[in-house]
Amino acid sequence: MNRTLTTFSTIVLVLIAVAVLGDAYTQYVVNLVITFAVISIGLNIVLGFSGLLSFAHSAFVGVGAYATAIMMSSLGMPYLFALPAAGLFTAFIGVLVGLPAVRVKGLYLALVTIACLYFFEWTFIHWDPVTNGTDGMVMPDISVFGIPLFDDLQKTYVLFPVAVLMYWVATRLMSSRLGRSFVMVRDAELAAQTCGINIMKARTLAFATSAFYAGVGGGMFAATVSFIDPHSFGLLQMIMLFGMVLIGGISSLVGSLIGAVTLTVLPEFLREFQGAQEVLYGLLMIIFIIYMPNGIAGLLRSKGLIQPTSLGGRKPSVSVPCHKLLGFRFLSTEALYARLRRQK
Amino acid sequence: MDLPFYIAVGVSNGTLYALMALGLVLLYKTQNFVPFVNGEFFTAGAFAAFSVYNIFAMPYWAALCVAVLCGAAIGYLCERAVIRPLANSHHLSLVMVTVGASIFLQGLARMKWGDDIYTLPPIAADFTVRFAGVPIAAQNLIIVAAAIVLVGALFLFFTYTTMGKQVRAVSQNLIGAQLIGINPNTVYRTTWIISGVLGAVAGMLAAPLTLLYPNMGSEVLIKGFAAAILGGLTSIPGALIGGLAIGISEMLIAGYISTVFIKISAFIIIMIVLLIKPEGIFGSKAAGRV
Repeated sequence: MNRTLTTFSTIVLVLIAVAVLGDAYTQYVVNLVITFAVISIGLNIVLGFSGLLSFAHSAFVGVGAYATAIMMSSLGMPYLFALPAAGLFTAFIGVLVGLPAVRVKGLYLALVTIACLYFFEWTFIHWDPVTNGTDGMVMPDISVFGIPLFDDLQKTYVLFPVAVLMYWVATRLMSSRLGRSFVMVRDAELAAQTCGINIMKARTLAFATSAFYAGVGGGMFAATVSFIDPHSFGLLQMIMLFGMVLIGGISSLVGSLIGAVTLTVLPEFLREFQGAQEVLYGLLMIIFIIYMPNGIAGLLRSKGLIQPTSLGGRKPSVSVPCHKLLGFRFLSTEALYARLRRQK
Repeated sequence: MDLPFYIAVGVSNGTLYALMALGLVLLYKTQNFVPFVNGEFFTAGAFAAFSVYNIFAMPYWAALCVAVLCGAAIGYLCERAVIRPLANSHHLSLVMVTVGASIFLQGLARMKWGDDIYTLPPIAADFTVRFAGVPIAAQNLIIVAAAIVLVGALFLFFTYTTMGKQVRAVSQNLIGAQLIGINPNTVYRTTWIISGVLGAVAGMLAAPLTLLYPNMGSEVLIKGFAAAILGGLTSIPGALIGGLAIGISEMLIAGYISTVFIKISAFIIIMIVLLIKPEGIFGSKAAGRV
C-alpha cells in the first residue's frame, strides 16, 4: 500500500476519532481543521505547484463563503448544491482576476494580488445590500437530504467526505497532465513552452483551480462558523494560510493537511492572546523557511512516511523546493565568469 | 477653493509614502525582492518615539534619536537573522520570510501595547502657517522638511561615500561587484539599516497625525508599494514622485468624490499600473519580467 496514503488515512482516522469522542468544541475545531485543509490545498496548488505568489486566496475564500450564504438564503439552494456552485463561481472570479494577473510575474503578481485582497475586503465591507457590511451575515440553517444539521458532529459527517473528495481530486489532478504542466511551467518555463504548453493558460487554470478550492473551503468555513464577516478574509488570515502551506510542506498535498492541523490546533491554546498567536505564526514561518524549507512533509519524507514520488511528477521536479532549483548559493570563480558571459 | 488645502495635506502624506517607497526601492534594487516587513519599521519608529516622549518624558529630539536608532537596529536584525540565511534563495522564500518577520514583530507590538490606540502630540502644536490662503499645520511642514533633509543626506551618501558607491555597484551588477571585491553582505546590511531608518522616521513623523496602534504600519506599507510601483520599483526619483502622486491623488479623491474611496485608491492604482504598464513611469523596461 502507498505510504503517503497510509499517513493520510492515519491522520484522517485520528481526526474522526477525536471528533466522535470529543465535546462540541473539539468537533468545531476538527471542522475548522478540515476546512482549512481544503483551503490550503488550494493555496498549495497555486503557491507550491505553480510557483505563483498569490495573496488573493483569502479573498477567494471570502467570495466562496458569501456566495454559499447568499445562494442558500436568497435562492433557497440546499447546502450540497450551494457548495460546488460557490466553488465554480469563485473559480470564475479566479479566472477574472487571474487572466490579467498572470501576465505579470513573480513579485509583481504578489503586489497585484495583495491589492486584490484589500479590494475584495473593502467590497465585502461596503457592498451593504449584498454582504450586509461589517454586521456580517448569519448562515442559514443547513439541511442535507432533508435532514437538518444541528450540532457540530453532524456537520463533521457532512464536511469530512467533502474534504476527502477534494483531497482525492487534488492528488489525481496533480498527477495528471494538467498538474504536471503547472509544475513544469514553474520549474522550466522555456522547456514547457517548447513542449507545447501554453504558459498563460496553465497559469490561469492553476489560479482557477486554486480559487475553486478556496470557494468550496469558504462554503465549508461558512457552515462551520455559521457567521461570516468581512474581517475573516483579510491579510492576517492570508498569512495564516501561507503559514499552513509552508509549515506543512510546500508542494505536498498531505503537507497541507498537516499544516492545517498544526496551525489550527496550536493557536487554539492561545485563543485569548492575539499578539502571542501572531508571534507564534511569525516565528514558525521564519524557522521553517530557513531551516526546514520542505516543511513537516519534508521531514516525514526523509523518515520514509511519505513517498518522494507520490505526486506523479518527475522525482526532482516535485520534491526539490523551487528556491533550490533556481537559487545559487556558492559560486566558484568559473561559475561567476560563466554567469557574467551569459549576462552579456 | 479647498484645492490648496487638499494638495498641502496630500504632499505631506505623500512624503511619508515616498519615504516608505524609498526604503522598498533600495531593497528591491540590491536584493531583487520586495520586503513586506517595512511597515513594522514604521510602527517601531512611532512606538519608540511614543515611549521616549510619553513614558520617559524626554524631549522630542531625544525621541527622534531613539526612533532612528530603533529603526536601524530592527533593520539590522532583520537582515542578520532572517534575510542573511536566505540571501541567495528564490524570491518566493525571501518574500515569505519577510511576511513571517512582519507578523512576528506585529505580534510583539500587540503583546506590549494591546489593541488600544495611543496618541503622540505634534512637534509644534500651536503653530500654523498660512500658505496660499490655507492654514497648514506645522507637523505637515516638518514632515516635508525632514524628508527633504533625509533624501538629501541619502543623495550625498550614494554619490560621495565608498559605501554608497558599493551599494550602487551591487544594485547595478551583483556579480561584477563581487568580482571587484565588494562584499554583498555588507551592502545588504547597509541598505536594510537605511530602510529601517527611513521607515522609523516616517513612523515617528506620522504618529501625531495617524495615531498609534500595533498594525498602523500595514496600511502605509501598501501605500508605499503603490508609490514604488507607480515610480517603477527601480527608480529612486520615481519612488519620490510616485509617493507624492499617490498622496495628492488620494486627497483629491477623498475631497471631490468620496472619503469611502480613500482606502482603496492606492490598490486601484497598483492594479491599473501593473496591468497596463508594469514598468511604471520611471522604471526600466526589464522590470516587468522579474
